[in-house]
Amino acid sequence: MQTQALTVRFGAVAALSEVSLDVAAGERRAVIGPNGAGKTTLFNAITGDLRAGSGGIRLDGHDVTRLASWRRARRGLARTFQRSTLFPELSVAENLGLAVRARLGGGWCFLPGGGGRLALEVAERLQQAGLAAQAGRPARTLGHGEQRSLEIELAMAAHPRALLLDEPMAGLSGAERRLALERLRALPRDMTLIIVEHDLDAVFAIADRITVLDHGVVIADGSPPAVRADRLVQEVYLGRPA
Amino acid sequence: MSRAVRPALVGAGVLALASLTFWAPTFWVSIGIQALIFAIFAMSLDLLLGYGGMPSFGHAAFYGAGALGCAWIWLRHPGIGFLPLAAACIGIAALLAVPIGALSLRVRGVYFLMLTLAFGQMLWGYAYQAPREVLGGSDGLIGVGRPPLDLVQNLDQGLWLLAGLSPRGVAVRDFYNLTLVVAVVVLVILLLLVRSPFGRTLEGIRENEHRMRAFGVPTFRYRLAAFVVAGALAGLAGALATLFNGFANSGSLYWTNSGLVLIAAVVGGTRSLIGPALGAFLVLIVQDALSSFSQRWPLLLGAIFIGFVLFLPGGLAGLGRLSRTLTVRP
Repeated sequence: MQTQALTVRFGAVAALSEVSLDVAAGERRAVIGPNGAGKTTLFNAITGDLRAGSGGIRLDGHDVTRLASWRRARRGLARTFQRSTLFPELSVAENLGLAVRARLGGGWCFLPGGGGRLALEVAERLQQAGLAAQAGRPARTLGHGEQRSLEIELAMAAHPRALLLDEPMAGLSGAERRLALERLRALPRDMTLIIVEHDLDAVFAIADRITVLDHGVVIADGSPPAVRADRLVQEVYLGRPA
Repeated sequence: MSRAVRPALVGAGVLALASLTFWAPTFWVSIGIQALIFAIFAMSLDLLLGYGGMPSFGHAAFYGAGALGCAWIWLRHPGIGFLPLAAACIGIAALLAVPIGALSLRVRGVYFLMLTLAFGQMLWGYAYQAPREVLGGSDGLIGVGRPPLDLVQNLDQGLWLLAGLSPRGVAVRDFYNLTLVVAVVVLVILLLLVRSPFGRTLEGIRENEHRMRAFGVPTFRYRLAAFVVAGALAGLAGALATLFNGFANSGSLYWTNSGLVLIAAVVGGTRSLIGPALGAFLVLIVQDALSSFSQRWPLLLGAIFIGFVLFLPGGLAGLGRLSRTLTVRP
């Protein structure tokens, strides 16, 4: 996954200016930065939820800058959202069913049936997400931690080659954090992972490399120890005087 | 109420409707035909409104296209069989739904509503002012053969055998049975459709289109497909109306027709198919029963509509659910 001089403007404000990222296949990259640094905007531009003003995006070497978001998803790009983006009125099992069906295809079948394989995988994923007991409940009745867990499982159901996690730990309690961290570390190693997260302990535990954004500009990019030692980063983000 | 109660109720309702020709006077059979046609129209809207979350205020465009298309074809091929005629009208409405849907579905919510309304009114304006020889202008296309007797000879024998009828019945009664068979077929088609992977996907798009796109689902195509199917079935309802009335005019395209079917769907309760069908019956009965002694039937209809929206948002179909929550305490 690469971005080349990606720029996104909202009116006169540049939310991202000339952001270039080069994330190798299978790499785990964290993107950190203060609120409003453009982290979520970067995700939206990569997934196609937002059109880039200029610059390019490549997935597996293919230029996807002009592709619609669903086409990028078909190429193996999945994401989670900062605020859980579920199907609130549908049951947890139905939520997963939609995600699994989107991958298996067959949405153009106009007659009921053929759900055996789907049901099997949904049951597996319910276990995986620790939501087997909640399978029949509408997603909106889940607790916050359960919603975050379902959020990740929905993205994983696509069998993505690259997964973008937007603050997966947001709002989790201490115990939930440990569980979530364990789950993130157990994600398949061959999957490219880009994670935006404010929990720096989690970031340093997961990431192979860290990119630091501030005001839409990359101010540092390197291995976790290098970023931790970077003076500029300490100034704008880690809050310590240089 | 167990799970089997609802299908049993629907089955009993269909049987009761099927028995109508044996005991009801012709006047009521005629109202039954209009109610069934309106029910098909309302069920087609439910696919769009209830399952797809697309509040169309221009659904009459497709009903009217089917109605006028039916008259146009009949006047050029008098005595054409019902099945080819119905297929042609379905096709006309579906073809029309492709461009209108493709343009309207670019926006959502109230903008979608206004665009569909605008397209519907454009079509009405065209039909109203069209040259007399094309669509009959404001008079409409008159002289469509009062179909049943002619129809019967052309209709697939099987359909009539299925209905257990001799082709020599009273025209109105035969036509009632034909309409009932079509309405049940449409209901079954839609019930299967909303439970199919396509229907589930459509439901997912209604609930969270953004997420569905993130799953890699081309949501626009699904919404357009639902729009075309709904339009096609509305066209079928329009064709039946023309065959029953013996004429078609631009009034079937008018926005009040779109409004009336919306009222029927909401009063009946969307996302249930049966609800909008019940709502169509209610609206038609209110209209027919009251219009004979008062010009003020829209007033009562409006009051009923307001009452349902405020106090029974689930509509007629929600009554069962309500009685369940009142009687069963977990």
